[in-house]
Amino acid sequence: MLRLTNVQIMYDRSIEAVRDVSLNVEPGSIVALLGSNGAGKSTLLKAISNVLYPEEGEVINGTLAFEDADLKRIAADEIVRRGIVHVPEGRRLFPLMSVEENLSMGAFLKTQAQMKADLERVYTLFPRLKERRNAVAGYLSGGEQQMAAIGRALMAEPRLLMLDEPSLGLAPQIIDQIFETIVALNKEGRMSILLVEQNASLALDVADYGYIMENGRVVLDGPARDIAGNDDVKEFYLGFGESGSRKNYREVKHYKRRKRWLS
Amino acid sequence: MDLFLNLVASGLVIGSIYGIIAIAFAIIFKTTGVLNFAQGEVMMLVAYTSWSLATSLALPFWLLVPVTILAAALIGVVIEFVFIRPMSGQPVFSIVMVTIGLAITLRSLIIMIWGPDAAPFDASVEGGLIEIGPVVLFSEQLFALLLFCAVSAAVYLFFRFTRIGIAMRATAMDETSALLMGVDVRRISSLAWAIAAVVSGLAGVAFAVMFARAPDMWFQGLQSFPAAILGGLDSPLGSGAGGLIIGVIAALSEGYIGHGLKEISGFIVIIIVLMIRPYGLFGEKELERV
Ligand SMILES: Nc1ncnc2c1ncn2[C@@H]1O[C@H](COP(=O)(O)OP(=O)(O)OP(=O)(O)O)[C@@H](O)[C@H]1O
Ligand SMILES: [Mg+2]
Repeated sequence: MLRLTNVQIMYDRSIEAVRDVSLNVEPGSIVALLGSNGAGKSTLLKAISNVLYPEEGEVINGTLAFEDADLKRIAADEIVRRGIVHVPEGRRLFPLMSVEENLSMGAFLKTQAQMKADLERVYTLFPRLKERRNAVAGYLSGGEQQMAAIGRALMAEPRLLMLDEPSLGLAPQIIDQIFETIVALNKEGRMSILLVEQNASLALDVADYGYIMENGRVVLDGPARDIAGNDDVKEFYLGFGESGSRKNYREVKHYKRRKRWLS
Repeated sequence: MDLFLNLVASGLVIGSIYGIIAIAFAIIFKTTGVLNFAQGEVMMLVAYTSWSLATSLALPFWLLVPVTILAAALIGVVIEFVFIRPMSGQPVFSIVMVTIGLAITLRSLIIMIWGPDAAPFDASVEGGLIEIGPVVLFSEQLFALLLFCAVSAAVYLFFRFTRIGIAMRATAMDETSALLMGVDVRRISSLAWAIAAVVSGLAGVAFAVMFARAPDMWFQGLQSFPAAILGGLDSPLGSGAGGLIIGVIAALSEGYIGHGLKEISGFIVIIIVLMIRPYGLFGEKELERV
């Protein structure tokens, strides 16, 4: 469904953020994209949505295909119309608008009738948003903002939903609720999901397939279960080593040397 | 007392003109972040175009208004396409410099096409004098006041309730997020310029009907800057109200203190106000994200 091959992305024509990345999302699957800070995950999602240009980012090489469309050649609004919807890192709600205005913006390309129906669906999914419908989005709590951001994306009726760190800064109960929603959308709504996460164990728990990025490259990919079982991943992303305890800094540096070999 | 009331009334009339131009100014600033220093000149160009349509086609006033609206929208779109769109991605400062160049170009262009002389704009809004208690207004002046009310109401309803109006506010708050919702952001910029040209152009027609169409009309645009700053640059309705306030203060200071104050009183007011409220009287304070 989504097929990236050998993608290279630069900012300001000088900073290479993504280098030779290939990644697939099959219809109906959940794909986890993991990696530490600055690995290039958000950059990759922005390239898929074709919203790199306001930040002077550019796809230098490679192809990004969604079904039969070349994503480099179609504008961001057309990409949304074709069914890829992106929940950006940090929610990025319209801060001075009400919750309901934010949600209605998600249905910008839909008819009035579709918008009404989808609004009810989102309120059923997140009853908390219905209670807060007239609240100013900028004053919502972090969890409410994440629900509003996901709700807003659902208003566009995505076929491929891309979520950039939905668990960031949320309490564990809220994270559980968000992840249950993601799984339900995938299983019941047949929605394909590309999930960017720092929280690797959680993401690999729900995903079918996983990719791990380091410094702009994919260093490991495979079925989520295999990745979760990989010793290196266990050590450095799932937070426990063979002895079951967190690794200290010295061993992380040792890993960095190994990582070059891994890639 | 009668003098006072009449000064307030004539202040509100000229303030309506300032206010409408300030609304236009604020719409462009709010949606695209550009300070359009050519708004007064755009107003003048629309007024001249409307004058030519009125004199050459002998259109009745009720027909002239919609035709002027169409012409103004076209002028706004063309100016945005030719001067602003190629600048996208450039620093805002450069774009503002382009609008200053545009202002001077339009002034010369108008003199080249229509000549340096003023001409009366005869429109059929003449109904003679209207007395409201001790206040006496010409029907043309009343038209300016009504236009201000109509424009304010239309702008409020547009940004509050229409889908594209809400999308314009959204784009102003977060352009990338708006792109991710499927908003074609370039069309939003073009639309903002079109709306601003229509709104300010109608003010230009109202002004020309009151006085004359003349090549120094752009000067009214200067008074709209203090109006917009006073009301809060990102608040179209606040900017409109700022125009009324500046108009009344200008009329009162000229009536009671003396000639020459009219032009500068507005600027004196904003200096004082901005010391107290840096984001204007009605502007939105930056909201801290939680
Ligand atoms: N607008 C920009 N201009 C220049 N460089 C950028 C820009 N945005 C990101 N980068 C750089 O590109 C690299 C990848 O950034 P990106 O935001 O994609 O990382 P990430 O994997 O999403 O990290 P995180 O987990 O911290 O969100 C980083 O080195 C970053 O400094
Ligand atoms: Mg990121």
